[in-house]
Amino acid sequence: MSLITPPSNPRFKGKAGGRKAEAARIYAHPLPLLFPHPPTSRIQSILAFLGLSLTRIDNPHCEGVFDSCTRSVWVSRSEDVEALWRRGFFGKGDLSRSEPSWYTRQLNIRKSGGKQMTSEEITAKRRAERKQFKADRAAAIAAVASEAEHIFATEGRVITPALSGPAIPSAATWKPSKPTTVLDNSPEVPPEQNPELEPSPEVALTDEEDQDPLIDVEHLQLTLQESFFLLWTLECLTVLDPHTLEPMSLQQIWTSFQLTHLPSLPSSSPAPSLLLPSARPLQLDNPFLIHYIVYHHYRSLGWVIKGGIKFCVDYLLYKRGPVFSHAEFALVVCPVYEDPADQAQSTFNLENASPFPWSWLSTINRVNSQVQKTLVLVYVTIPARSRVSSDILSTPACLAYYSIREVILRRFIPARMRD
Amino acid sequence: MDDLLESPSTLTEKPADLQPEDDDQSSGDEDAGLDWTKIIPAAARPVIPKRGEKEFEPRENGGTNLQMHILDRARSAMFETLRATRTISSKGISYGVWYPTLGRTHVTVPRGIHFSTMGHSAPRPILDERGVNRLHKRLELLPEEAIYLVERGALFCWKECDVDASHLQGFEGIAGAPMSVQQVYTEMIGKENLTLEKFQVYANLRRLGYAVTRTEAPNDSYPMPPPFDLSRPSTPPSLFRRISSPFLFVFSRVLRIFSSSFNWWRPLRLSRLIHHDYASIYRLLRFLPSGHTIPLHQSSTRTLPPPSPYKIFYNVYKPSTAFKKTAPPLPDFQVVVVNARTTPMPTLQELSALFDLLPELPPPLPRPRRQAYGSKTTPAAPDLAAKTPTQLQTTPTPLQPKPMLLQRIFPFLFPPTTQPLQVQRRPNPFAALKQGKKIIVIAAVDNGNISFFRFSQGAFEEWPMA
Repeated sequence: MSLITPPSNPRFKGKAGGRKAEAARIYAHPLPLLFPHPPTSRIQSILAFLGLSLTRIDNPHCEGVFDSCTRSVWVSRSEDVEALWRRGFFGKGDLSRSEPSWYTRQLNIRKSGGKQMTSEEITAKRRAERKQFKADRAAAIAAVASEAEHIFATEGRVITPALSGPAIPSAATWKPSKPTTVLDNSPEVPPEQNPELEPSPEVALTDEEDQDPLIDVEHLQLTLQESFFLLWTLECLTVLDPHTLEPMSLQQIWTSFQLTHLPSLPSSSPAPSLLLPSARPLQLDNPFLIHYIVYHHYRSLGWVIKGGIKFCVDYLLYKRGPVFSHAEFALVVCPVYEDPADQAQSTFNLENASPFPWSWLSTINRVNSQVQKTLVLVYVTIPARSRVSSDILSTPACLAYYSIREVILRRFIPARMRD
Repeated sequence: MDDLLESPSTLTEKPADLQPEDDDQSSGDEDAGLDWTKIIPAAARPVIPKRGEKEFEPRENGGTNLQMHILDRARSAMFETLRATRTISSKGISYGVWYPTLGRTHVTVPRGIHFSTMGHSAPRPILDERGVNRLHKRLELLPEEAIYLVERGALFCWKECDVDASHLQGFEGIAGAPMSVQQVYTEMIGKENLTLEKFQVYANLRRLGYAVTRTEAPNDSYPMPPPFDLSRPSTPPSLFRRISSPFLFVFSRVLRIFSSSFNWWRPLRLSRLIHHDYASIYRLLRFLPSGHTIPLHQSSTRTLPPPSPYKIFYNVYKPSTAFKKTAPPLPDFQVVVVNARTTPMPTLQELSALFDLLPELPPPLPRPRRQAYGSKTTPAAPDLAAKTPTQLQTTPTPLQPKPMLLQRIFPFLFPPTTQPLQVQRRPNPFAALKQGKKIIVIAAVDNGNISFFRFSQGAFEEWPMA
């Protein structure tokens, strides 16, 4: 089943406003929980006035399999995938950029250009057009320059060759001369599509019924932070043990999510989730805990928080979700040990636990201001071992000992601040 | 050329109005080279030219004849400009004497407008004609001020000298040994905590028209701005905020003590009876300690941390700020200067220590909205400078008070209060989030390249999105 449904109303097709309305309809719910509106009756309205209600909260009860190697939870049931992606943008398709769209892309290839383009295909098309524009512009500039060169060689007049002007296409006005499609065998096309492109004549020849039925092999993968948020706070995810496929208890999940970050024992150990916690003591500076605190904090404030490795950062904050607007903030998680001695003894080499050099700060700030994002340093304090015992790690109550605070970073340009 | 610079008679000159053009036009490409060909007459006062356009693609087979010709022309124009003898008018030059023991330059002849924002008067004992020692106020410059003025050719500096030659013929009015620009740099940097980095930041800001003073008075007679009002704004909403923000921190414990209803294994308990929506669920999820008000648990004090290199050094006033030298107002920015090569980024502790010294800023004013047809225009934001720390009056906080526990449990007891007609529009939460509550500017100087960064105290927990 594809998540990318064609627009229900063909009138809206291709119109930006229509697409927005469509997105607002599909992604109307910020969390997987639903509050169905019961038929209004007099009693209901009186109760609602009193702040009471009889609405049943609709919980999707999704199911996923824990995978400790990839530190993720795999959700395969398509209705679960849809619920988690559309209501809160949880997870990522393992064969896609974000939304699980592998199946739709394959369908598009079989039909040689489906009606509904996936975001990957739109990007590939845009890049191909951009490449064409750059080639056009370079050709125009070269033509102007060779003309100036000719005048200089023959008449000795110096004309600085123009780099912009009427003769040279500009990014604002340039239009692709012929519709470039993803099916141009350009290197921009994601590699996984290329093998499919080669036998396209055969595809055209064979009848659609003759083809192997297309099976959606893609799954949604949730990070451990996303999974724990879904199952702990919203209780809408059940995590299955990868070996027994039995639902794991909350205590088991809490421990094994932390254990995935601990170095595995060098013995022929059974599954890590089956190990007793005592075998590998839990630690206060576990990356799972630090990142969960960040994830939970921004989720609870209503942000959609996604990974930000493309921009040298840990997380990106979207206001409603990636389909609505670009990310506004880029977060760098900086763990802070309350006691520096703990850091020296730690077995984790936590990233950014020690202040990084200014050159690196400049780098990430340049990258992010280039894409209109504001850089935020998110400091998570790790309680000192002298203050709390690591026994508190056996329950999520330990999270109350951590704290989170932000420092917002921007370049200060004195020439622009003069007023 | 070096000899010319050495000789004190030809002080290097930079034009008095050497201010870069408005950077807003040049899309941030301040690293691009200058187009020297635009400086036509070499003798004319140099102007910073418009930058040329970059070529997008390299030409095949390297440079062509035309390209080489244009490059050569630009290069020779640069040399022509640099070769020009820089001159200054003797009428505009000030004179001063550098006292290495004091670390000050006594300005004997002040000329020009520089002294409206530079220098301070200091009482010094002098012997008058009758041999009586008395205090006399005189204009003195800090090392960075003296170097800056000497460098731009506005000050001629002597060095205090034991030999008193003033009575000799031809030496009238000469107070010591003349100093070259190089000598001024070598002697004055290192005095009064001035490092080369700090001087470079000072000169950079001064050239842009900012008034720059020291944050810590180098002597008692140095005029200082009034201290910041560090007490939290005590308007009722802020008071509420003050109560409510630590509330979440103790939320879990308090609850465990008297009701033990907060179950850490089931943090979100949705009762069927109470009306829920997404906003209320998000509110219930905000139980993790967050924000800068939470105490930083410093570890034991058995090992004292090394002294922080992050000390506020300069107070900076915008060119538009009315600056009175003898009674400076509250600064617009405060700047910390560090050497980017030897000092890593500040730690959270160092940043918190800096934030503790700074006042809280009001949220940024909403931009005047473009009006719909026919409707009246709201008066434009009256205080444009409200973004700066100088003005500490708070606009009413837009934060919706968090519902109290009682209110959460029995929402029907608290009917939703209709918001009083909002006179002031809610500030844009993105603008407020990006500004932060307290701002410190850190200048990281890497071998003369200055990167200014604005570190501000974030307050995401005060601006929820849902």
